[in-house]
Amino acid sequence: MRELLTYLVNGLAVGCGFALIASGLVAVHRVTGVVNFAQGMFAVVAGLSASWLLGTGLPHGLSEVAAVLIATVTGLLTGLLAIGRRGTTPQSSLIITLGIGVLAYAIEIFVWGDQPRSFPGLPGSVTLGGVGVQRQHLLVIAATAVTFLLLTAFFGRTYLGKALSACASNPYAARVIGIDVTKMGLLAFALGGLLGGVAGVLVTPLRPISFDTDVTLIVNGFAAAVFGALTRPGLALVGALLLGVAESMAAGYGYAAYQTELALGLMLVIMVVQSTRRGPVLEETA
Amino acid sequence: MSDRMRRLLPGLAVAAVTLALPAFLDDSALSVYIFLGLAAMVTVGVSLLMGYAGQVSLGQGAFYAVGGYTAGILAVHGGPPVAGLLAAPVVAAAFAVVVGVPLLRLRGHHLAFATLATQLILLSLAGQLEFTGGDIGLQGIPRFGAGSFELGDASGYAYLTWAGVALVMLVTRNVIASRPGRALRALATSETAAASSGVPVGRYKLVVFALSAAFAGLAGGIYAFYVGYVAPGSFPVLLSIEYIVMAVVGGLGTIWGAVVGAAAITLLVQALNVLGTAPGMPSYAPSVLSYAVYALLLIVVVLFLPHGLLPAVTRRLSSRRAREADARP
Repeated sequence: MRELLTYLVNGLAVGCGFALIASGLVAVHRVTGVVNFAQGMFAVVAGLSASWLLGTGLPHGLSEVAAVLIATVTGLLTGLLAIGRRGTTPQSSLIITLGIGVLAYAIEIFVWGDQPRSFPGLPGSVTLGGVGVQRQHLLVIAATAVTFLLLTAFFGRTYLGKALSACASNPYAARVIGIDVTKMGLLAFALGGLLGGVAGVLVTPLRPISFDTDVTLIVNGFAAAVFGALTRPGLALVGALLLGVAESMAAGYGYAAYQTELALGLMLVIMVVQSTRRGPVLEETA
Repeated sequence: MSDRMRRLLPGLAVAAVTLALPAFLDDSALSVYIFLGLAAMVTVGVSLLMGYAGQVSLGQGAFYAVGGYTAGILAVHGGPPVAGLLAAPVVAAAFAVVVGVPLLRLRGHHLAFATLATQLILLSLAGQLEFTGGDIGLQGIPRFGAGSFELGDASGYAYLTWAGVALVMLVTRNVIASRPGRALRALATSETAAASSGVPVGRYKLVVFALSAAFAGLAGGIYAFYVGYVAPGSFPVLLSIEYIVMAVVGGLGTIWGAVVGAAAITLLVQALNVLGTAPGMPSYAPSVLSYAVYALLLIVVVLFLPHGLLPAVTRRLSSRRAREADARP
């Protein structure tokens, strides 16, 4: 029973990391219709820069914030390349973000080397219901909860958030009422960078991160985002938590080797089931 | 010169050069030549799949791996190499049909991620299962041969590879020129419209998917015999991305474009490797340079030459020819 609880909390923390990546994917996809393959890269950039900044002697807190800012700028630059040119289709944009992910490999190796990096998070652990829980895990869960609340409020309550959503549901109509669709898209990419950065800064103390960790992150994040059909942050959060807990349980009960298969298999099943329900005609315009 | 001759001539010239080249290359150049051919084989399939069927596969490396492992496992257990090489594309195609039936319901980015996931699952399984040799992989795959004849030197493999490339190109050309080929083009533009004019959308997509997998499987089989071992690390996700880069750079939906793309990227990366390993360069230089080149080429071509390198060049040439023809009295 105690083991179960430990695995559950671990899984929730890992799942929260996926959820933050997924929320970035959702933010970008909602507004631009683009699936941003470079989303995992934002987390990697933030994680690597945080560990580098801490290494240069910058205090905790400041380093993390700076790293998130770096990731945000990276997101904006990615957006400029991916959707900055008029008439780039979402399919082309996906391939461009793929290219940006690989370009980031080159830059990351050049700047930070190709070895995995990590940095210490919150030290120590607390006892919850008789189970020792690392504080960093709690921090990840709390930060994710706050982020999702803010995100929901932003998209649901603010004018800017609604304008962002309008771009996704009908770009033409959005332009007619005076919304600059490209600018909103860039904003979404910056938001994606920010969310990816938060994920990277929070997760790196739990799992060391290296330049090619982005594939794992993006695939898990996409799996979670798919759960919410790439448009609903709430469902993406549920999907991410399920995924994290399932992986952690599998690892805990001796199937650690099959974690990848489990997570990806789950994603494939969900996608196929969704596609049978939706029918083939809807996506033609994409 | 008749029009037909003019169209055939460049192809014949390329074929002649291809056949003559192995005699002039040393062993290290031959290995580049062989890898170029293998990449071209896979890329023709990717180009067919992306350009004609409109489907993005980020998991083409998975089929390459299936081909490599099939040939490797058969050969290691004493099967005749010819059977291994023949089985490689067949098993890869069969695998593509099995995963394709559920996955091809997906499209666009869903399909891209699903194929990527397939490759990751496959690599993870290959790293754990007994009969694939785990993470270490299959070692000591015997040389390719038939009966008492054994293909030992690299130039033999070069001929084998380019025979494979020729076969793949011929099959693709015939598919494109056929009635199903026209149906495929319709399907890439709009599935709904194609379906309503009576194109069996699902079946055709599956066939092209399997065909492109068979091409990759064949290349994987030759790879296994040439290199002599296969391991999960031989087929990274980046490999699949490389094929996309090659297909996009060469021009999607063009057979020659795929070959040009594969050649351009392979040679460029090779040149950069030479540059990166030159004395005085830091140890990370080769990987940084090759990643950067893949990425920049991909981005620039998608943004500025959406039809690819070869179509852009030929269009410029033909428009100049047309202008010259106009200028003549």
